[in-house]
Amino acid sequence: MMIELLTKKYPGMRLWLAQRLSAVVMAVYLLVFALLLIVKQPAGYEAWMNLMSPWWWRLFTLLFFVSLVMHAWLGIRDVFKDYIFNPGLRAIFQLLVDVLLMIYLGWTIVILWSM
Amino acid sequence: MKFSIYRFDPDQDKKPYMQDYEVELQEGDQMLLDALIRIKAQDDTLSLRKSCREGVCGSDAMNINGKNGLACITKLQDLEEPVILRPMPGLPVIRDLVVDMTQFFEHYNSVKPYLVNNDPPPETERLQSPEDRAKLDGLYECIMCGACTTACPSFWWNPDKFVGPSGLMAAYRFIVDSRDKAEAERLENLEDPYRLYRCHNIMNCVDVCPKKLNPNEAIARIKDLKILRAKEKKTRKTIPITSAQG
Repeated sequence: MMIELLTKKYPGMRLWLAQRLSAVVMAVYLLVFALLLIVKQPAGYEAWMNLMSPWWWRLFTLLFFVSLVMHAWLGIRDVFKDYIFNPGLRAIFQLLVDVLLMIYLGWTIVILWSM
Repeated sequence: MKFSIYRFDPDQDKKPYMQDYEVELQEGDQMLLDALIRIKAQDDTLSLRKSCREGVCGSDAMNINGKNGLACITKLQDLEEPVILRPMPGLPVIRDLVVDMTQFFEHYNSVKPYLVNNDPPPETERLQSPEDRAKLDGLYECIMCGACTTACPSFWWNPDKFVGPSGLMAAYRFIVDSRDKAEAERLENLEDPYRLYRCHNIMNCVDVCPKKLNPNEAIARIKDLKILRAKEKKTRKTIPITSAQG
């Protein structure tokens, strides 16, 4: 269902919806993370490793960062659309942001799976 | 009372400029429009639109001390001096405080602001339950002064593509009308990434509306309805707007 909403059939809605969905994912993750911190109160390297290293938590964390990247990409894209009117210049800025976001995401994966 | 008013006559001026005025208010002068009429008596080269002078026609919408509003229902006692008056932002200036609202009305027309219903008309009229009628409250009262649309940065950046709060509220007014049969086409008509989805809910429209309406809420409801409709995948037959009669 959601996949269908996010397809080309709804060019306007899918971007809007993607931004909201990614926000929901981030909100849920941050809530769970906050609860975990309160309950476990990790102190020191070992405690943090124990908190972050379960595979399901790493996967959830990755989902959080994928949502963050998607959310940021859509937001910055809107800002560029509004303020940079030269298509060439806009494409350059967009490309810079795309590359930067991909680097961040790759870096996140490296960190998560080197634990 | 002191005023600083935007002046621009394209036939004479190369650039717009601000002109200072000082006007002696008389007893009974309560609204900004009263003062403007006195200024106009002093200097008849000043151009502005006005008509009903009671907040119904929407002609005298302008930017008053940085905020869009209607001169005829803006109290002089609430204004800081010098009162800075400019034309509504984001539209071409014809002269002084008079703007060209063609773009604004083109967007209004683009949402087909009339009932679309090809069912055979009943003998008397198309009836509506009081509950269905109540759904139009807060929507139909729009006087189309343009204050909201020209206060919206999304309209400033994409005036040719973004319908704007006023036009979108008109769209919603017909989407929820129980007598209208073109809901699907109306929602489809707002699908591209610019017409509806340029709204980022900053609510300048709600802030400035002289009729205290809430275009932002109407826009949010259109977005909700679009999701609902996509989810239901309704195949309900509706009439293409283009071939419909009002």
